[in-house]
Amino acid sequence: MNPPQSPTELDAQLERLLERCAAADTQALQRLYALVSPMLFACVTRILRRRALAEEALQDVFISIWQQAAQFTTARGRPMAWMMSIARYRAIDLLRRERIAPMLAAPPDEYRALDAESDSQDSSTPWLSSADSMQRCLGLLSDRQARCLELAYIDGNSHEDIARLIGSPLGTVKSWIRRGLRSLRQCLES
Amino acid sequence: MTTPDNHELIDRLASEYVLGTLRGLARRRFERWRANTPHVDQRCRFWEERLMHLAKDLEPVQPPAHIWPAIQRRLHLATRQSALRRMRPFALAASILLALGVAALFYWRSLPANHATAAATIAAKSGEHLWELQVFGQADRLVARAAKLTARPAGSDYELWALPKGAAPVSLGVLPAAGASSRALSLRQKQALALSSQVAVSIEPLGGSPTGQPTGAVIYIAQLRAPS
Repeated sequence: MNPPQSPTELDAQLERLLERCAAADTQALQRLYALVSPMLFACVTRILRRRALAEEALQDVFISIWQQAAQFTTARGRPMAWMMSIARYRAIDLLRRERIAPMLAAPPDEYRALDAESDSQDSSTPWLSSADSMQRCLGLLSDRQARCLELAYIDGNSHEDIARLIGSPLGTVKSWIRRGLRSLRQCLES
Repeated sequence: MTTPDNHELIDRLASEYVLGTLRGLARRRFERWRANTPHVDQRCRFWEERLMHLAKDLEPVQPPAHIWPAIQRRLHLATRQSALRRMRPFALAASILLALGVAALFYWRSLPANHATAAATIAAKSGEHLWELQVFGQADRLVARAAKLTARPAGSDYELWALPKGAAPVSLGVLPAAGASSRALSLRQKQALALSSQVAVSIEPLGGSPTGQPTGAVIYIAQLRAPS
């Protein structure tokens, strides 16, 4: 069966699988794992940068999804945002526990190899619509603001990590991030 | 009450929490605040959906093959067949009796104290009863009992659907081929049942429709009625 193509169709499919997980349907969890684990694994791998930790995090994430599926409703937002948040927050918690040193982007080679073998989707993020207003708002950020937000969101870096990585004062980095977020909010709510 | 200043603060903290730059004790405190404050939770969800777009260029990475079996083990989802085969006959019989007793205890204790609030009988054209359905409480729980051993087409399951007026069918789960199943209903399922006067059964791939809508033939439709 081909996966749905549009973000709306994919959302409906993920909502449906989460409902079935809430009803303790183990096959739904397996299907959900097949659909979203590559993206969630990419998220935790970029933040944690260590194979064993990323694998531990991915297991934790799917156990949380299984246990919390009954709490997910469409009123809680889009299913992929909910699951990605579980993944990222778990990775950030592990990052803190392990006190992992910051690193500029790029996954380890072993994951690039896995990635190359992957037969996953043509579009890496089929749940994101290019027509979404957020894409337009991100395009309005300065390069520095966008870079700092990416280093925080995708790579799990703290303010201090980012300042060290890009060689800018801590106060400046905080300011870029704060202004970037404020610009996004103003753009989204305009 | 949320003042404008307060709103500004909540939004700033929510955006930094979701971004990941809110760290340490401040992060822990904010998590507790979010868990107890719907407005804070709402702002977090706003940012979770928006900032997700920062990951638009993140390439998916296929996890190693051993991860899924590890998750199954941690959730005790793996089939118990292999474990059962290893057990001696006496231990097997004793374990089954114990498990049945515990399962029955939990089953009866899990049923709501109040009576069934709706029921339906799914029957073949010949009039033969195939499944008896009962909805308990405020559609909190659905119990489906197979009235007879129902043969399934190879590689298929029978899936039950609520048919809410003016809306698409909503799955109520896969029907048991034998015995009974009891499941808690989600908010969406409850809402759909409240708007339905009928339920339907379709033939779907094992585990149920992958699309959220019936993909196979609808073979039975039954009226929801007050329980007898």
